[in-house]
Amino acid sequence: MRIQRLFMALLAGAIMAAVSQGAAAQGTAGSAEAGKAKLAMCIGCHGIQGYKTAYPDVYHVPKIYGQQPAYIVKALQAYKSGERSHPSMRGIARGLTDADMADLAAYYAGGAK
Amino acid sequence: MNRILTIAVVAAIAFGAASAQAKGNVEAGKAKAAQVCAACHGPDGNKPTGPDFPVLAGQYPDYIKKALSDYKSGKRNNPIMKGFAATLSVQDMDDLAAWFASQSSNLVTHR
Repeated sequence: MRIQRLFMALLAGAIMAAVSQGAAAQGTAGSAEAGKAKLAMCIGCHGIQGYKTAYPDVYHVPKIYGQQPAYIVKALQAYKSGERSHPSMRGIARGLTDADMADLAAYYAGGAK
Repeated sequence: MNRILTIAVVAAIAFGAASAQAKGNVEAGKAKAAQVCAACHGPDGNKPTGPDFPVLAGQYPDYIKKALSDYKSGKRNNPIMKGFAATLSVQDMDDLAAWFASQSSNLVTHR
């Protein structure tokens, strides 16, 4: 009887943990439609086929449409914090909120065609 | 004067064409990727095992190489990638870049 009660308590705890985790994940999910309205500062570089960044080094600006959304958010956060150092991307990411990043990530993940 | 200018232009174009060519060996990159990258990014760079790991298939090779060299130098600071990139030579990076860039994926330039 005591074991049964303990088991029930553990089960309830596990369910609550799962539910709150799901809610947290949902909190970070952006809107692709909202992201589409925030593209202006992205497409000048990421919207041009074969475009290269000229500073500080010359290389192709990465393709990001079709990329994993969580990776896009992680990259933007790293630029914002200074952990990743590209000057233009730092400047842009500094102006983005967490919601902006989630929306842009949802758009670039392919949510809006 | 004109001739010098012409020579300079021709040289610049030739240099540009040469540097635009992929320096990496796709087959060597495939073999290296199977050892180093596949466990997390998928064998062709299309199936990352984590939601925040990037798709590499179809990415520009010079961007891939830039990322790898930045991880190796520490300019880009990621503990996982630093460890892997530390083991790679410049040739390995060229090979891996050529391999992943040659794989098809949903990665595109789109506005």
